[in-house]
Amino acid sequence: MLEIRDLHSHYGFSHVLQGVNLTLRPGECVGLFGRNGVGKTTTMRAIAGWIKQISGSITYNGQEIGGLASNAICRLGIGFVPEDRRIFPGLTVEENLKLGLMQTAGRSGAQEAAALERAYDLFPRLKQRYRQMGTTLSGGEQQMLAIARVLVGDQKLLLIDEPTEGLAPQIVDEIFAIMRKLKSEGHAILLVEQNVKRALDITDRICAMERGRIILEGDGNSQADRDALMKAIAV
Amino acid sequence: MLDYMQFVLAPQMLNGFAFGIAIVLMALGLTIIFGLLDVINMSHGEFFAIGAYAGVVLLASGVNFWVAVALVPLLMLPVGVLTERLLVRQVFDSADRHTLTLLLTLGLSMIFYDGLKMVFGPNPLRPDNPIPGGIEVAGVFLPAYRMFLIFLGAAIIAAVWAIIYKTSLGAMIRAAAFDRNMASSLGVPVSAVYSATFAFGTALAGLAGILLAPIFSVFPTMGHEFIVIAFTVVIVGGMGSIKGAVLAGLLLTQVQAIASLIISPVWTDPILFGIMVLVLMFRPQGLFGRLGHG
Repeated sequence: MLEIRDLHSHYGFSHVLQGVNLTLRPGECVGLFGRNGVGKTTTMRAIAGWIKQISGSITYNGQEIGGLASNAICRLGIGFVPEDRRIFPGLTVEENLKLGLMQTAGRSGAQEAAALERAYDLFPRLKQRYRQMGTTLSGGEQQMLAIARVLVGDQKLLLIDEPTEGLAPQIVDEIFAIMRKLKSEGHAILLVEQNVKRALDITDRICAMERGRIILEGDGNSQADRDALMKAIAV
Repeated sequence: MLDYMQFVLAPQMLNGFAFGIAIVLMALGLTIIFGLLDVINMSHGEFFAIGAYAGVVLLASGVNFWVAVALVPLLMLPVGVLTERLLVRQVFDSADRHTLTLLLTLGLSMIFYDGLKMVFGPNPLRPDNPIPGGIEVAGVFLPAYRMFLIFLGAAIIAAVWAIIYKTSLGAMIRAAAFDRNMASSLGVPVSAVYSATFAFGTALAGLAGILLAPIFSVFPTMGHEFIVIAFTVVIVGGMGSIKGAVLAGLLLTQVQAIASLIISPVWTDPILFGIMVLVLMFRPQGLFGRLGHG
């Protein structure tokens, strides 16, 4: 589904990604772990088209997407839930969600209304707050909106970066429950998460990153691989 | 006292109001372009002048004034699209975006200014007033064209507000103004939104140009003169704020209109700039927040 080969990227003088290789199969949840600054977020942003100074190859269902504009990449079915949520503060909850409808072209009004309804069913709290401005939401609600906003686009692959950062434990539970549900519905997920222990509950495969490279790849359900991961990222 | 109100103060405030509405049209384009693209468009004044001259040319070739008012903004659209695509976009992604776009649009304004002078000469041209005369209400004479300008301008301002805050296009503009990467990742065609918004702002400037032409006449330096007030309005209202542009535009032009009854009109500009300096000292972000920033 997603194939990354020898991906390099530069931020000014720093060589952030130094040859990332990563494969993601349909319906699979892959966890990308590592300390701060090793290139996890940069990898996500490169896939989403936010970073243009890249070399190497990123293919999605056989099509090269490296260097495409972000709006072209999302049209292929890749949804991005970035670090910090990036909710638009000057838009209402509903406007934020409706913007997400643009990820998928060619749907009828009824199909779009159904997609919005599904998102509200998944996150009833957003429905209660649909007229509130994005800026008035709590951190947990913003995270829910960031996920819901991508889901209304009916995306097949979800890139989810640090979804539980700074959230209360109860909200963290909710977010993980939602991600498990999305996985069971067939979404492929590339997850970056600092809460490694929780993330291991839903990941099929695990990767450890260090200095811009993936240094270890393993089975998310194998205890030996989990131990090796913990050692590799030293947590 | 009543005479003073009827014959001096009220007409002066009405003139100020008509002028204020036109300034708001100009400031709106400026503030939307800044709010969305983060570009300080120094050629906005010349777009205003080009709109006025386009009106003069259309009128001279026999086009009816009302048709010209509808045509000028449409003719300005490609000017805006070309400026954004061929010039602004070339330097948009550089680290020095503010300086480069400022210098670029300043250079462009000089070219337009000299171009207008070369083609039309330095002397003012004045289109005929399309609605001469007026009506009297409570003893106050209301010039018909100025009243028309106020109503049309208010309708356009309301329409701009509705487009930005009540339509999906407006939601795209507000989203891209806040975070273009995120907007793009949700499918917003950010590049097209940039061009369209730049063109829209240009069309508003051109419209203000032709609407003011019968009152203030048309001359090559008109862009320079009006852009200074429009910039003051945008800075006082808050760079990138639509509400700010409307309120500051109407307020500052009233201050100017009333002050010119008390002191010499040449001293009214320093009063406006004084207000701007005070706002910059005590509330540098302006009265209201930036487009899309909540």
